[in-house]
Amino acid sequence: MYWLACELHTHTYHSDGRQTLSELAEGSAKLGFECIALTDHNTLSGIEDREKVEREWGVTIIPGMEWTTFHGHMLTLGLQEFVDWRTSEPHNIYKGISEVHQKAGLVGMAHPYRIGSPICTGCYWEYEIQNWDDIDYIEVWSGTFPSIKTDNLRAFSLWTDRLNEGCRIAATSGRDWHAQVATEEPVSVTYLGLRADKPNEMKQIAQDAVHALRHGSAVVTIGPLVTMEVESASSRFGIGDSVPAPGSDHNERFGGYWGHVKTVFSNRQGLWELPEQKFALKIIGNAGMVAERSVGAEDEVYRMNIPEGGLLWVRAELWGTVHGARALIAFTNAIYFNEGRGNE
Amino acid sequence: MLLYITGQVTPDDSRQHFAHRFNLDHPTAKIWIRFNYSPKVLEDNERAKPLIMAGIDLYSAPEQKQLLQGGWERYLPLTNLITVSVDDPEGNRGACHRHDPEQLLFLAERDSSPGLTKGRMVAGIWSVTLSLHSIVTEQCSYHLTVWASEEET
Ligand SMILES: [Zn+2]
Ligand SMILES: [Zn+2]
Repeated sequence: MYWLACELHTHTYHSDGRQTLSELAEGSAKLGFECIALTDHNTLSGIEDREKVEREWGVTIIPGMEWTTFHGHMLTLGLQEFVDWRTSEPHNIYKGISEVHQKAGLVGMAHPYRIGSPICTGCYWEYEIQNWDDIDYIEVWSGTFPSIKTDNLRAFSLWTDRLNEGCRIAATSGRDWHAQVATEEPVSVTYLGLRADKPNEMKQIAQDAVHALRHGSAVVTIGPLVTMEVESASSRFGIGDSVPAPGSDHNERFGGYWGHVKTVFSNRQGLWELPEQKFALKIIGNAGMVAERSVGAEDEVYRMNIPEGGLLWVRAELWGTVHGARALIAFTNAIYFNEGRGNE
Repeated sequence: MLLYITGQVTPDDSRQHFAHRFNLDHPTAKIWIRFNYSPKVLEDNERAKPLIMAGIDLYSAPEQKQLLQGGWERYLPLTNLITVSVDDPEGNRGACHRHDPEQLLFLAERDSSPGLTKGRMVAGIWSVTLSLHSIVTEQCSYHLTVWASEEET
């Protein structure tokens, strides 16, 4: 598995950004991003420079768009065909979503709790969602130093609530990056887990990245890369995977699952910084906290027990002190369990 | 002149799209679109305050409301926002989602304004859609002019 450092929400001169695609890619490369999604408001025109800019900066560009509508901002990724954003009404967003899906794209809710009209029309998500399976991902962290912002805490809870209901939905971060302006605040990265090694061909990287997000193979961080695998009696499962319910050959002595949580502090070296401290590494699931331990700033794998019984999902979280505040530093997307899903 | 539209809108017109169609009777080299609206900014803070307060009340977390409403001035000034998108007889030609209240845009076969897509300038029914994201001033007037040019440069 290769974890690809991505920035999934960006704008250029083709909408209200104040940067060219090349300037955006240059800034991305300098921050250690290997891949960006171009998500200009309501237009795909900026993608025209894709290949030239990819060659210029070595950064993969995923085509996308931010549907900047009156009732919500919705990110689409991985499709280069136009789907009309102007026909969406509060009760029919499922139509637009299904057209995006037919064209092999993904949809994500952008900054769902940012204050709406008249301060920022459509910034708050007001679309009715009849079926949460329609939504591929929620941008739970928006902007810089995202984990402490109230709007993002609400989005993060929205995601957790859906997981608790049994939905399988991914979570991402996005800077909503409009200009090359330096910031002192931590910048978040969404790492997408490519199944094999990183391909050489840019288009293939973009395709694999979209595939990874569709599968929920994603982790989000303002610093260290934190990933997880779950070991059952018979096999190992990665982020986004489903662990089958123990069968009739269920071993009586099966003592639950093992979470293998890997922390990598040597990633994107020199591009982020955290004060020296002991961090809290947690495994969280539908029943709340499953396991917790203290960890140092090391590249290490920690084996933590996950008791069986009624599990729907688990994720790993890394907590610590950032700019003087207790904050979530990194989290994985969910690993799902069929055992908690009853007899379906 | 392919289209000359002038209009006045009010806050009640917010969150609507107005599509303006025109017929291009023969292929052309370039289409120009000039669009402007005014005013851009709601200067009257007394009028802005209740709008901001209502927005905070509707959209912020219960425990945040008081704090945000205490600092309502940080959301000043409120602005009108109308954006332009274009469709040719065969499909969409992009949008210009930006905050400038005056825009001079063009489309041609080999070039176009940022946000719009270059491509064949075919004859048929085209349309320019105005999307009224937000009208906060009592009145907002706009002008939309579209014309063709036989010269691409
Ligand atoms: Zn947005
Ligand atoms: Zn955006």
